[in-house]
Amino acid sequence: MASYLLRRLLLGGLTLVAITFIVYGLARNMPGTPLTVQLGETDPSRKLNPEDQERMRRIYGLDRPWPEGYVRWLGSVFRGDLGRSFSRKQPVITLIGERIGPTFLVSGTAFLLTWLMGVPLGLYASARSGRLDERASSLLLYVLYSFPTFVAALFLQVVFAVWLRDTRWELPLFGMSDLPADAGWLARAVDIARHAILPITCQTYVSLAYDSRFIKANMEEAVRQDYVRTARAKGAGPWRVLFHHAFRNTLIPLVTLLGLSLPGLIGGSVIIEQIFTWPGMGRLFFESIRERDYPTIMGLTLMFSVLTLVGQLLADMLYCLVDPRVSVS
Amino acid sequence: MRRGSDPAIRAAACLALAAVVGLPACSRRGDDLPQPATTAAAPGGIPASAADRPPEPFDPPPLADLDRDAKWIDRPVRDGLKLLREQQGREQPEDTAAEALALRNTSASVNRRILAALGRLPEDGEADFSARVDRHVPGDLGSTNPIMISTTAEFDILGLTGFGLFSFGRDLEPFASAESVVSWQTSADGLLDKVVLRDDMVWSDGKPITAQDVAFSYMVIMDPRVPVPAVRSGTDQMRWVHAYDDRTVVFFHKEPLATNVWNINYPVLPKHVYENTWEADPTLKESAEHVRLEQEPVSGGPYEIVERKRGQQIVLRRRESWSHVGGRQVRDVPFFKEIRFRIIEDANTALLALKAGEIDELALSPEQWTTQTTDDAFSARNTKVTATEWVSFHFGWNIESPFFADRRVRRAMSYAFDHDRMLEKLCYGLYKPAAGNFPEESWMAPKRKLQPYRQDLDKAEALLDEAGWIDHDNDGIRDKEIDGRLVPFEFSMLVNQQPLRIAICTLLKENLGQIGVQLNVRPTEATVIQDLTQKRKFQAYFGGWGAGTDPDSSENIWATGAGRNYVGYSNPEVDRLYAEGRRELDRAKRAEKYGRIQEILYDDQPYTWLFWRNSFYGFSKDLRGYVFSPRGPYNYTPGFGSLWMPRQE
Repeated sequence: MASYLLRRLLLGGLTLVAITFIVYGLARNMPGTPLTVQLGETDPSRKLNPEDQERMRRIYGLDRPWPEGYVRWLGSVFRGDLGRSFSRKQPVITLIGERIGPTFLVSGTAFLLTWLMGVPLGLYASARSGRLDERASSLLLYVLYSFPTFVAALFLQVVFAVWLRDTRWELPLFGMSDLPADAGWLARAVDIARHAILPITCQTYVSLAYDSRFIKANMEEAVRQDYVRTARAKGAGPWRVLFHHAFRNTLIPLVTLLGLSLPGLIGGSVIIEQIFTWPGMGRLFFESIRERDYPTIMGLTLMFSVLTLVGQLLADMLYCLVDPRVSVS
Repeated sequence: MRRGSDPAIRAAACLALAAVVGLPACSRRGDDLPQPATTAAAPGGIPASAADRPPEPFDPPPLADLDRDAKWIDRPVRDGLKLLREQQGREQPEDTAAEALALRNTSASVNRRILAALGRLPEDGEADFSARVDRHVPGDLGSTNPIMISTTAEFDILGLTGFGLFSFGRDLEPFASAESVVSWQTSADGLLDKVVLRDDMVWSDGKPITAQDVAFSYMVIMDPRVPVPAVRSGTDQMRWVHAYDDRTVVFFHKEPLATNVWNINYPVLPKHVYENTWEADPTLKESAEHVRLEQEPVSGGPYEIVERKRGQQIVLRRRESWSHVGGRQVRDVPFFKEIRFRIIEDANTALLALKAGEIDELALSPEQWTTQTTDDAFSARNTKVTATEWVSFHFGWNIESPFFADRRVRRAMSYAFDHDRMLEKLCYGLYKPAAGNFPEESWMAPKRKLQPYRQDLDKAEALLDEAGWIDHDNDGIRDKEIDGRLVPFEFSMLVNQQPLRIAICTLLKENLGQIGVQLNVRPTEATVIQDLTQKRKFQAYFGGWGAGTDPDSSENIWATGAGRNYVGYSNPEVDRLYAEGRRELDRAKRAEKYGRIQEILYDDQPYTWLFWRNSFYGFSKDLRGYVFSPRGPYNYTPGFGSLWMPRQE
């Protein structure tokens, strides 16, 4: 076990270096630099002459070749420093720290809701496979799945924030909180929760459709297996067959899916965050790319990569738990 | 608000660009970026230049000597709000506010009536001084440090929290702000400006604002280690800034230029806050203290930042110590107690927020103006107004490309384009056509009115034939032999990913197709366009510029090798006229030079000028006092400072 872990960690470390190296190279070779973006915004009559631009490039270290920039970045990461954002004048770690909470609030809640509803829905669909009610609910789920979030978000906004305004069903249009910083914690919590409802709804419905279909698809394969026939033959009840015999055998792909969704929990969603002006990680990532804010791009890449690797590692470990045939070595 | 003193100036200055950049789908970042080319700078490091050195130390002569020799000429010191009040006192609006609020803005005359009735300042006792206004801002702040700012949002906020000595009015004429300045004088030789500050000003931490702050800020801005993005140009034209005492500051110029009045206008830092920290951390963002100051800046303007939630909102509160010093009132109290900037990046959400009353004002896109603000849901709470803005758009032709070196070809492009269809159909008849750099109603435009180009395909074809672009191989595309090779007339146009802009380029594509020219429209990310145009790796692009407060600000578009001269235009006469214009202190003579430049550019057509874009704004029915300048409703003096809300009965 220990040697397995060690091997995985070593491999993980190498993967991280490879990922960050490639992403850094790509980021630095995108057309434009933080300066292009920044100067693009300044007043045309405040003309920065070429010498000044060159001076700024030197201050930002952009005059050096990018592999050198990468090594310098890697060096400071080893010293525990993710650097300062070019465009936001703040330490990258602070920026990430500010966004983790709000992101997790939405995606964590959506994640829980998805699984709490998705697993029963998937099982229900497999149990009633082919019947009218299952067909109807599947159709509904497919419709939801193919319904674009940006449309759904706008629709929800119009209904809950405009039409139902000044009624008890009203929900906030955008943002995370309307109360001043000195409001009581309970009031603030309620306020934030109300703001989170629409983003959470948007994030939940798509993955709900996906996950329940995923479970159903796996179950369909499982119920065709010999051991299920055996179970039925020996007289086990239909729910027991479904849950105890078939479902347990679909846990492996499920755990894989769970492992893969770990980075998503922190990664947030660009579109939903953008529409609801939710201060999440997705927006930060998107903006930092637009701003060519290399330190922030790299900080986030590093975090996402680590989470992906950890997610996979955890999934691999969980395999042993859910399937006794699997062993780490 | 308040005649936000000088920062407003800066803001306005900056706005130019912002405006141009327009309302991209989810951000303000745009193409059209003004910006110096690096083409001149070879990659891999250019030798240390003037930009790498602080100004040479300067030994300012004693003030008594200056006063003896300078022959001071008084310059204007103005109170923007007072001027507006006097001007409005002479006007008589057709409608009362209530009548104007009931109007639907469907025509130019209704627009005028709404502006006349709702743009007025309050009578005594009419304004609610405890009101809060919710403003929209499309993106977060990068920095709150006055000298580090560069985006529109930053300029908007600096206009309210920053301290400065100068500003400009609705007519874009510069003056010293009466809120901070007692007197402003220029020496007869134009080499010195002397400003005497008021003695009743304090920073938000209670320390006095003095001339020392003004001189100190110049030193910091000019230090080559400080990554100042925007405000350095202009200050670098000065020789030195010296504070003779706490109230008297003298600006020493290198040359007597008409543009010196703009160069002395820069944001001011509190010296006592930064003097011990900036040397250790010239980036102004690395050290713990600078990180803290970024979050809790010391304010010198009428408002201070009391809350800054990244990606969500910035709350400014009126500063008692701005209007009241030493227990007595020394300046007007700004109308709003609190200003909340709410960050909404998504344009649809922003419009919904306005309709729902979550924000009180919003800059609208032409599409929103035409199609999404005509219903009851909008007019229940809001009204809307439009005004001319000095922002124009163009197709830029890269003169260094084989297609556009010949001005006959560039003129052919302008004749080929269906300007009328663009104006009427694509722009909903909202915009005026543009014929050149300077707006025709501005003082720098030529006396003889230039007619905007209109479509004339025969002329376009004749010009192309004349230039040698003829369909030799009968494939339907014109071609020309260049260096022994037959080159078909097929080129691509870079354009920002915005529907209207793409539609305009596509219209050109259709037009050119009719005369045997193949255009490929290439929608591209703004930063990539910026990068490619700056390196002149393009054939044509769609862009726009805001006209500066001073015509000299367009020099870097047209002078040979200049920073924003993406199209590679070079004309010695234009270069000379700009150089002379800057040195000419007589307004009428200056105007002649810029008028001449406009005429030359009109003949050369390095751009095909398209239209002047308007400001479109939706305002809550609770808001009053909006008055538009060619730079929009906010960023001049009084600008946002004239907005108010009536008291609820």
